[in-house]
Amino acid sequence: MAQLKERPKPFLLPDYCKGCGRCISACAKHCITFDKEIDAATGYVPVVIDLDACNACGLCMDACPEPYGLRETPQDVDFELQDPAKLFGSKTPRPEPKVVPNTLIPLPKTEPLVIKGNYASALGALLAGCRHVFGYPITPSTEGAELMAKLLPKLDGTFLQAVSEVAAVNHMYGSGGAGYPCMTFTSSPGFSLMLEGVSYMIGAEVPGVFVNIMRGGPGLGNIAPEQSDVKLACRGLGHGNTHAITLMPSTPQEMLDLTMLAFELTFKYRNPVVILGDGYLGQMTGKVNLPAAMIKPGIPTWAVNGDADHRGNLISSIYLSEHDLEMHNIYLNDKYRQMEENETRSESFMTADAEILIVATNTPARASKGAVQDLRRQGIKAGLFRPITVWPFPVNQLMKDLAHVKHMVVVEASNGQLEDEIRLALSKAGVTQLPVMSHVRHFGGMLPQQTEVLAHVKAILAKEVR
Amino acid sequence: MSVFYDKFERHSQGAGLKGNSTHYCPGCGHGLAHKYLAEAIEELGIQENTVLVSPVGCSVFAYYYFDVGNTQAAHGRAAAVALGHKLSNPEANVISYQGDGDLASIGLAETVSAAQLGAPITVIFINNAIYGMTGGQMAPTSLMGQSTATSPDGRSMYNGQPMRMAEVIAGLDGPVYVERVALFDAKNRRLAKKAIKKAVQCQVEGRGYAFVEVLAECPTHLKMSPEDTEKWVKECMVPIYPLGVKKDLATESWWKRPAPNFEADHFLHAVGASSDTTVRHCDAFPVHLNPADISLKLAGSGGDGAQTAAMLIARAAINEGYDATHIPSYGPESRGGTSYADVHVAKDEVLNPASPHPDVLIAFNAPSLAKFGPTVVKGGTIIYDSSIVKDVPPGIDPGVRVVGVPFTEIAVDLGKAVVKNIVALGALQAATGIFPKATLTAAIGQMLKDKCALIPLNEEAFAWGVKAVEELGK
Repeated sequence: MAQLKERPKPFLLPDYCKGCGRCISACAKHCITFDKEIDAATGYVPVVIDLDACNACGLCMDACPEPYGLRETPQDVDFELQDPAKLFGSKTPRPEPKVVPNTLIPLPKTEPLVIKGNYASALGALLAGCRHVFGYPITPSTEGAELMAKLLPKLDGTFLQAVSEVAAVNHMYGSGGAGYPCMTFTSSPGFSLMLEGVSYMIGAEVPGVFVNIMRGGPGLGNIAPEQSDVKLACRGLGHGNTHAITLMPSTPQEMLDLTMLAFELTFKYRNPVVILGDGYLGQMTGKVNLPAAMIKPGIPTWAVNGDADHRGNLISSIYLSEHDLEMHNIYLNDKYRQMEENETRSESFMTADAEILIVATNTPARASKGAVQDLRRQGIKAGLFRPITVWPFPVNQLMKDLAHVKHMVVVEASNGQLEDEIRLALSKAGVTQLPVMSHVRHFGGMLPQQTEVLAHVKAILAKEVR
Repeated sequence: MSVFYDKFERHSQGAGLKGNSTHYCPGCGHGLAHKYLAEAIEELGIQENTVLVSPVGCSVFAYYYFDVGNTQAAHGRAAAVALGHKLSNPEANVISYQGDGDLASIGLAETVSAAQLGAPITVIFINNAIYGMTGGQMAPTSLMGQSTATSPDGRSMYNGQPMRMAEVIAGLDGPVYVERVALFDAKNRRLAKKAIKKAVQCQVEGRGYAFVEVLAECPTHLKMSPEDTEKWVKECMVPIYPLGVKKDLATESWWKRPAPNFEADHFLHAVGASSDTTVRHCDAFPVHLNPADISLKLAGSGGDGAQTAAMLIARAAINEGYDATHIPSYGPESRGGTSYADVHVAKDEVLNPASPHPDVLIAFNAPSLAKFGPTVVKGGTIIYDSSIVKDVPPGIDPGVRVVGVPFTEIAVDLGKAVVKNIVALGALQAATGIFPKATLTAAIGQMLKDKCALIPLNEEAFAWGVKAVEELGK
């Protein structure tokens, strides 16, 4: 009995009571009842406790769903005289999040590797410090995941074969949100499934690299190369106001280099980065040189890393108040604008005096470069403009190359998705007088060939002469 | 409790009254589950390395309350997000807190696969038999006959039957601890608190995946008083969702992942990169085949080794300091079916990597020869397997040299049919002189550096391929 007397009785600030009454049914002594009046501050009817009848069994406190609802009365405090705001004092302050910087680790010079584009991209990721890879097998990107499954255990990293692409992107959301460089390999139908998660990652500012080796669609289509996800990457990364830097490599070497760049950019902007390759590029074996250094990643300040230094952090994309969400979008738009200003990349080949400008990306850009060489040998002033970022579109570079251009030929394995980006970018840049535009296109799993580009340009010129 | 924030400042009205109250409706079970989880984290002393994953649904705002690392996930994806956290930082204690629409409907695949994976995460599943946040629609856990906004006449057979998630999860091999608890009276609340702490402890000890299903009250959408809701859970839910421990395995701690390795030599060894200078055997680019860019096609059926042979040609070329590419093309069959490889060897840079009109064709079967023979350019070379192809089809340019070598017979004689592609490489060397023999055999040796025992057989196969062509020439 002596112990019972020492047990604290419950205490309630009426303002914190929602009047659910769960304490009433819990009270064995029937000493809790509803008050007679509605609490003016909350609009609820709080409970009142007859403390004289109470034996301090504590069941009511256990039944109260509110963290600061029914509480134990400290023995030495006269609650009635306390200002509620001061009652609960301050606890352990949230730690100031710390940054652990990246470390650069030099590599000796090595002989070139002879590897597939998918493998090159995987190595680029590893060199950039990525040890967490999540994916779901899909041709023609699978070798990337397979190589990661083989190499990561040797590097004490993790490869998780997700239950679906939907799960894969959400593994990335967790891993990227924890501050770690993470990636996936996918192909068109898989990328579609990931877009919900990409939108969340953009909203919550979570970094992650998506390698999409594009194949023929729509639907299941086939497993041969296409370039039909340009629109998806540039204009449709899930719901909402979304953009991500989208890189389009054209050689296995670039698969490595641009994957490394993608990791740098995804952390720089806290925004996913997409690499679009065509099915050929993923499967294509070529010469790949390793860089002079690799990266050991640190931990950024914002990470929900699950350690003491980052306890107060939050990864979330929800902004229920319209005003807050608008402010968040204004902030994201500003980030997109910075990407547009700083991150456009392209390659120009023999464009200084070009009258025929071929625009192409990925493997078709290689074929087009061959065609430009053929045309130059025949005395035709042809040049190649190759966007390396398709979003943001390198429009300023393109405008420079347009100085003498009479014909622009867009070579792509889609029904005009790249051409749409070109037109939109030029239009936004205020270019109203476009050169004549025509195209060489394939869709269904074929890529435009050098001979076709050559024939197309010669047909244009023949018509002009006529 | 220090695991709750002093003031719920993330609450949109955190400055006012809401600074110390939850956003949950009066009588909602989330508050109790939150308290038990906060107490568990506090009692286990893991506040500093805990990550709470909150879902879509009423508890989307769990991060208002818990002073731990917080991640808010998309609807149904909390388990997948939790795994991302756990795999990235195994030191973190990751708790996925989910409702029934989230866990048992849209996120079912993520829920089940995470459970079966068995990684030590803790899943707290709030089952109130209804969708809360979206306004009282039918949940996978709604009871038969229960009226909801989307089963207005009561859940019927046409809507399927209630999902018993604790039993589903306990039926998997991955989880170590599964229990269903309730909140409707003092005894069950005590058991609920105990179960939640135990589930978190399973993770702290690295024992494995743990799952606690909490039968919780949603007075608002069940359209009852809090008291009646407690009664409803007890009388209507419990018979369908029996309480108690569904699974409790004594498992040794197994989750000990090492920290990732970032040592340079470790990396180079893993990827097979070498600092040793490759010896060159070629004096000049084989311009007799093409001045700048030699186009080859290797075609056969899957398993013939066309892709491997193609890779070896590309590797040999790159070892010699040239550029090279190889593009495979195969049908959906894993074995058999068509398998083509386009290879380019360029003096400086491969531009068009496809080989629609090859300088050299290696054909392993009749359909390949028939299909691609006519595409070979005038002056080019075709090498085919004369053990398989008995007649050279029409349509081949008379200016193309056609060489038949019995790849398969030679390989079978050597005791291993799979080396017929290496026989073909030998034939290629002898017929075209694309590279010196040593260039190709060095590439074979490089490819087999981890299977040295196979090198003599492959070198023999190569030599026989060379010899077969040389004998034809005599």
